[in-house]
This record gives sequence, structure tokens and C-alpha cells, in this order.
Amino acid sequence: MHPLHRPIPGQHPPRLPALACACLLAWSAAAGAAPAPTLRLFPTAVLEEIKQTGNVAQELESGLQPVIARLDQQQRLYLDSKCDGAEADAGCDQLARQLATTYLEMLQVMEVRLPEMEQAVNHTRKGLEKRLRRELGQKKTAWDLQETLLGKAGRRGATHKPRLRGRSGMRLSDRFRQYYNLVARPGQQGNGSLAVVAADIYLDMEEASELIARTREEISRATLMGELNQSMGVITPQMHQVVAGVKSILFGEAGDAPPADAAPARAAGSDRYLSPLQL
Amino acid sequence: MHPLRTFVPLLALLGLGACQSDPPKAPLCRLPTGNDLAAAVSQAQSDLASGCASRYEDYFGALLRIGAGNPDPDNARRFSGFLEWSVDQGLINRRQAQTRYNRYFNVKYMTLGRQYNVCSDTCPRRPEVLAAMRRELGDKKLGLMDILGDRARYQRADRLYQETELVLEATCSACGAR
Repeated sequence: MHPLHRPIPGQHPPRLPALACACLLAWSAAAGAAPAPTLRLFPTAVLEEIKQTGNVAQELESGLQPVIARLDQQQRLYLDSKCDGAEADAGCDQLARQLATTYLEMLQVMEVRLPEMEQAVNHTRKGLEKRLRRELGQKKTAWDLQETLLGKAGRRGATHKPRLRGRSGMRLSDRFRQYYNLVARPGQQGNGSLAVVAADIYLDMEEASELIARTREEISRATLMGELNQSMGVITPQMHQVVAGVKSILFGEAGDAPPADAAPARAAGSDRYLSPLQL
Repeated sequence: MHPLRTFVPLLALLGLGACQSDPPKAPLCRLPTGNDLAAAVSQAQSDLASGCASRYEDYFGALLRIGAGNPDPDNARRFSGFLEWSVDQGLINRRQAQTRYNRYFNVKYMTLGRQYNVCSDTCPRRPEVLAAMRRELGDKKLGLMDILGDRARYQRADRLYQETELVLEATCSACGAR
């Protein structure tokens, strides 16, 4: 007798409709060969937070894009004019002051938008943190985790190929839109991909949090120094670092090539040898 | 002359003679070479069953080298057969056979523990776990790609390592942020 058909002790024999249902359930369970429990990494609240963070990121990008484009242009001009090391030159001094003014403008745009962004980022981060800790950290062993990542397709040799972190080379808002689309359609992704996406978003959020903290420090520092364009003639390494950080997080890294996709996995047919030792 | 004076040397000579006519046989443990894995497996089995069991690791290593010289999906069956025979002979136990087979010929990492949860067991020693996985990935390259010629499964193992690294980074950070 199939274990699923065993009567529960003390239970009356089921009536016909109930029996039919039980059989159907038993059949579907057998056909599905014990489906893996679904990971609850993205409940509705987390999904909404991801969506909200994407919207806030888009607003921040829209505000910053023209300023950063101007900053880039001024930086190029500064370098092309061989101003590096020639600060005494009047033209170079003027270019340096323009650079510093634009940099200050960028900080001001961020100062206005940052609190909302910070809040959205922190909510998403906290929500995912709790889910990752519970669903992957506490409920799973490392072995379970790799089984989750492999999924059924992985066992056969196929691969989901979710894009891994740091290689996306895309805007933060686009990334969030993509994340939302990935996780908002149940059944489209296996648990393995969901775990990777959750890790990806969480680490992005950590990085964004650090960037926000650094930028806030930079804003405070600049404010303390009074009129930035009066006190600093040239763009400093700290300024470079903040601009590079903002660009990489918000707009993706320019030099980043998309990941080289693995060659299409050969669909492992029934002809592949399965050892009795195989786990 | 005392009879013992002639008898004892005679006995000694006889004993020496007996030793010379039946010397203890040292096992001839020649590691298999060449490209034919099936033949190498047969030779290894024959030698291991005839007193070379202490050199089991050397024989297994030689079989891996021979397999790598001639990639073939059927090599999985040959290695599995050899390992199962080794279990039957009592050379290794079943768990060791499974670990060895899966370390080389499966996408899954045998390095990863099954007893305790990720937060309590894996996170405190994440660098060591990842280093062990990287070593195992090297063995999977030998097994999956060089011996079986299965590039797709080796690439999946490689990707699984990257995914595990990423998910562990996030999960361990979440575990520590209570």
C-alpha cells in the first residue's frame, strides 16, 4: 500500500467524494514527487517595499542625472585642458570652481532626496534581512541551501542563470523594476533563483545604506566648510569617491560588461548514467 | 663427537634451504598506466585484491589520471563500478565511496554540511567552507570536464559555487544582524 493511502488510526473510512479527493491528492503528490517547500522570501510587504524603493531610486536618478552629466563634462574639460597640477592658471582655477559648484549641487540634490531613499532602503533591507535569516539561515542546512539553489532543473544539468550581483551594469531603478518583475510572478522562478535575487537585493541595500551614510558625512563636511566652491579649488579624492559611488550604485558601472552567459547547458537526457552512489 | 654438534648445523642448513625454496611473496603493486580506463580498473582491482590495498589512494589517483586522458561519459559507470567493488572488498565504506564519487562526478558539493543550520554552523566558518568548495570545484573540473567531458555540468557546478558564495554572504550578514 502506498504510504499516502494508509488510514490514519481512529479515523472512519472516508466517504466517496472524500476518497476521490484523497486519491487525487495522493496522485498529484506522487506525480509531483514531493515538491520542495516554497521559500517565503518575498511576502507582499517586502514586494511593496521593493517597488517603493525602485520608485524612490528613479526620482533620485532623475534629479541627479543632469547634474552628474555636467560634472562629467567639466571633469573631462579639466583633464583635457591639462589643469591637473596647474591650479595657478586662472582658466584652470575657474574650471575647478565650476567643478566644485556642480559637486555641491549634486550633494544638495541628494540631501533633499536622501531621507526618503534612506527610509525605503532601510525598510527593504530590514524586511529581507528577517526573511533571509529565517528562511535560509535558520531553516536550512548548507546542504539544503545548495539543493534549493540547484532546484530540479539544476539536478538535470540545466541552469536558471540569474544574473549575479555587481555585474548588472544597470540603473538602480531598472534593477529594482527587474527584481520586482522577477519575484512578483509566482511560479516563474524556482526557489533557487529567488534565493539569489533576495541575496542580491539585500546586498545592494547594504551597499546603498553605506553610500547614503558616506554621502551624508560628505554633505556635513562640505556644509561645515561653508561655501564649498570658495574653500576648495579642486575636486578632491573624497569627492571622486562619492561621485564614483553614486554613479556605480545608481547608474551601474559603465565599464561593466554583461556576464558571459554559460554555454547552453546540454539538457541531460535519460541516457546520462546515474550511479547508485549519486546523491 | 657429540651427535648434537653435527645435527644442529644440519638442521640450520635444512631450515635455510626451506627459506630459499619458499620466499615470502612481496605483492607487485604496479600502478596502471595507459589510456584504457576499463583495463586500468581491472588491473587495479586485481592488484588491490592481491595485497596492494595499502596503496588504494595511489591506485585511485592513477585511475583519475587515466580517465582524464580519455574523456568519455561512460567513465562515470567505470568509476562507480570501481568504487562499489571497493566497498564490497571492504577497502572503503559506502559513505566514503559516495563522498568520493560525488566529489568528482556530481554538481553538488560534498563539503557542505547537513546537520546544523546555516546561521549556527556555516556562517562562523564561511571562509573555510568556501575555500573547501573551491578545492572541490577543482576536483569537479577533473571529474566532470576532464574525465566525463561534461562541460555543461561543470559550468553548473561553477555557477553553484558563485551562487552559494553570494547567498551565504547575504544570509550570514542577516544572521549576524539581530
